[in-house]
Amino acid sequence: MTEHSPFDSAPDAELGVALREALAMPFGGAFVNRVRARLNQRQRSWDEELAGWFWQGLVAASLVTMLAGWGLNTFSGVAEESDASASATVASQLLDGTTPGANVLLASMTASDTP
Amino acid sequence: MTGVDEAKLAARAGRGDADAFGALIEIHEAMARRVAYAILEDREDADDAAQEGFLSAWKAINRYDSSKAFRPWLMQIVVNAARDLRRRRRVRAADPLDSVSPAAKDDPARRAGDIDLGERLRAALATLPERQRMAVVLFDAEGYAQAEIAELLGIPEGTVKSDVFHGRRALRRVLGTVKEELDD
Repeated sequence: MTEHSPFDSAPDAELGVALREALAMPFGGAFVNRVRARLNQRQRSWDEELAGWFWQGLVAASLVTMLAGWGLNTFSGVAEESDASASATVASQLLDGTTPGANVLLASMTASDTP
Repeated sequence: MTGVDEAKLAARAGRGDADAFGALIEIHEAMARRVAYAILEDREDADDAAQEGFLSAWKAINRYDSSKAFRPWLMQIVVNAARDLRRRRRVRAADPLDSVSPAAKDDPARRAGDIDLGERLRAALATLPERQRMAVVLFDAEGYAQAEIAELLGIPEGTVKSDVFHGRRALRRVLGTVKEELDD
């Protein structure tokens, strides 16, 4: 074994072993059991429990928001398309000189009432 | 290293799994108690502080960042618990100062007149300022890097180097004396 100097920047293995032995505490198993027992006694409060699910909750909420946004965007696009096609049908029939049927007029009115 | 995925255990503990946290206690029990003892120099107080540290860590496990190592995070909490206990102990300690260190009083071997290396090292440690004591124990005995110790103790890395140097020099003297006695 090489002599260790206080200047060395690497841990002093010999001193380390001696220190670990000098500072060793007895009854490790009993200590662990004692802390485990306290752990089970100590019920976590609702806010600690909630905090445990914070990130999962945040991800789930983001997904729901994204899905809702996508759905809103998609279905409002479809509604706009159907409004446009209803108006187009009335206009084209009037231009053709034919009288639009009651169902076409009704659809056109309903579409224009929708905000 | 233990080979156990501590981040996974900590993640399970974060979801309220007390058994997973119990496994973490088993892994770190010895080190936490040694470090607490190095600060408090009393076995009962060290156990109380280590226990308090583990319970605080259990309470705060949701704040543990799993991208970082678990051991320094836990040890920071244990060191804080030990320092808190020492402060409380100082406040209530109105009794006169004793020339014998608590560490020395703790060991029945001293009463029998049979002074061993462990006791001499504990006595030498007790003469060091706490910061030096912590630096040398964390570096040489527990294998922490100097940068980690600096973060743990809230001091610059250069100060850690200096503390390790001075602490180690004092302890090395004790080791040398014991070796010489053994050779004689």
